[in-house]
Amino acid sequence: MAGMTADTGALRELTVGTGAGLDTADMVLNIGPQHPSTHGVLRLKLVLDGERVIACEPIVGYMHRGAEKLFEVRDYRQIIVLANRHDWLSAFSNELGVVLAVERMMGMEVPERAVWLRTALAELNRVLNHLMFLGSYPLEIGAITPMFYAFRERETLQAVMEEVSGGRMHYMFNRVGGLKEEVPAGWTGRVRAAIGEVRRRLPDLDNLIRRNDIFLARTVGVGVLSAADAAAYGASGPVARASGLDLDLRRDEPYLAYGSLEVPVVTRSAGDCHSRFEVLLDQVYVSLDLAERCLDQVDRISGPVNVRLPKVVKAPEGHTYAWTENPLGINGYYLVSRGDKTPWRMKLRTASYANVQALATLLPGSLVPDLIAILGSMFFVVGDIDK
Amino acid sequence: MSIPGEGLAKGLAVTLKTMTRRSHTQQYPDVAPELPPRSRGVIALLAENCTVCMLCARECPDWCIYIDSHKEEVAVPGAARPRQRNVLDRFDIDFSLCMYCGICIEVCPFDALYWSPEFEYAEYDIRDLLHDKEHLGEWMATVPPPPAHDPNGEPAKEEAAARKAAAPPATDQPSSGPPNARRRPGSGSRTDEEPP
Repeated sequence: MAGMTADTGALRELTVGTGAGLDTADMVLNIGPQHPSTHGVLRLKLVLDGERVIACEPIVGYMHRGAEKLFEVRDYRQIIVLANRHDWLSAFSNELGVVLAVERMMGMEVPERAVWLRTALAELNRVLNHLMFLGSYPLEIGAITPMFYAFRERETLQAVMEEVSGGRMHYMFNRVGGLKEEVPAGWTGRVRAAIGEVRRRLPDLDNLIRRNDIFLARTVGVGVLSAADAAAYGASGPVARASGLDLDLRRDEPYLAYGSLEVPVVTRSAGDCHSRFEVLLDQVYVSLDLAERCLDQVDRISGPVNVRLPKVVKAPEGHTYAWTENPLGINGYYLVSRGDKTPWRMKLRTASYANVQALATLLPGSLVPDLIAILGSMFFVVGDIDK
Repeated sequence: MSIPGEGLAKGLAVTLKTMTRRSHTQQYPDVAPELPPRSRGVIALLAENCTVCMLCARECPDWCIYIDSHKEEVAVPGAARPRQRNVLDRFDIDFSLCMYCGICIEVCPFDALYWSPEFEYAEYDIRDLLHDKEHLGEWMATVPPPPAHDPNGEPAKEEAAARKAAAPPATDQPSSGPPNARRRPGSGSRTDEEPP
């Protein structure tokens, strides 16, 4: 806009420029939709006063793929294909929510072996997800090296995930009533070896970044989210637990085999970027332990991993709400069925969507250079926001 | 609490330690990756097993399988009337649409579709990703035998069927590893689905 003094009828004056007046206009800055730090297409509309952010409006929807609408015209097996794509970093956990909802509607009993296998795979998926963010978050604020360590561990775990499911991201291994197929012979041993290796090498990543002075300077005390705000915005998962919101469905409302496992919940109280990162890092250790304990059970229990399904799987008329502790937070699946082979409606409550809402209160007051640190520490997947 | 720069030093120690180790780099184009047999790389078609039942095309979540066929009369010696059978004219999978979910392979009742871990079929033109019957058939050579199941779990349905067939009077063929000439799941007796 050209800065000029206009005098049209009513007195109207706009002064822009150095020395033109004491007041300066606020600048509106768009971060995104295409921006390397948004890992996807999240747009933030910022109002800046110099270097300081005074307002932030997250604008979502650039990656909306109509997943919920597509669910309505897909049968329950086909839904799994779509469900593991909205949050591509926690594909297994996403599949899980869908099948848990359908199984509950159908009153289906899942074989014990399948339950333990699912729990083990869900925890491995959590580790994979967290490792991704443990690598990408330092990268976003300038530390390139941790990415390589994180991906080395990811690769080790990907190998066993690929061996069992055939996929590296979209596992497509859950089915209504259990799992797609039995695991290959010797797989549990190889998973144990992989877990052992990751656990042995994880201190590398830990030592590299957790107490790194530059990293601390960028993250400690930056982007503090209070527990009250986290709760008000419906934030969940590592983001909320870093603010001291001690909520973990694996412990508080156990599904799968979590009821018979003791799930240590990692929390922090500071609520800043560093505690969010630390929660993620510590959860990796916890999840590795949990996965190992599940594998012990898997080796003890014999039997099928799925149930014989009718030719056409139909959820009886009714509705149910299943929620799971996804790697990024609470994912909810509201399934309404009219007795057809497709759901009448399947509403997703995704963790990332709720978590990014908190940015509107988190960002105002922070400096632009801190913006990326805060944005990255909210650990979201844009596909999970926009669905 | 701690000496300034301690965190940095610790990090550098990790770097130093890693420097002395072998690198984890995979020399991909020179060294082919070892992929597990379940890897979902490309779909192979065993056209002889296909009966044009269209289940795969119908169940595909994004309808990327195109099938055309015609009916043919086969004169069976000794039979009063000639039999009709379906002849597959076209079986295309559009890998630019495929989501690699494997539902088509799962629903195929006659084991005409298989996963192969081959993945090097990138093209310069998206239209070339449409693999026709012959192209899909070529992938059959790369299909690995399925891995044995964990002894704690249930054996593969093919294994169970083979054992059942082999058990009573030990006359039939011995169950030799992963059976290649598979039968319809569930049917114990020998019913060859292949056309004569």
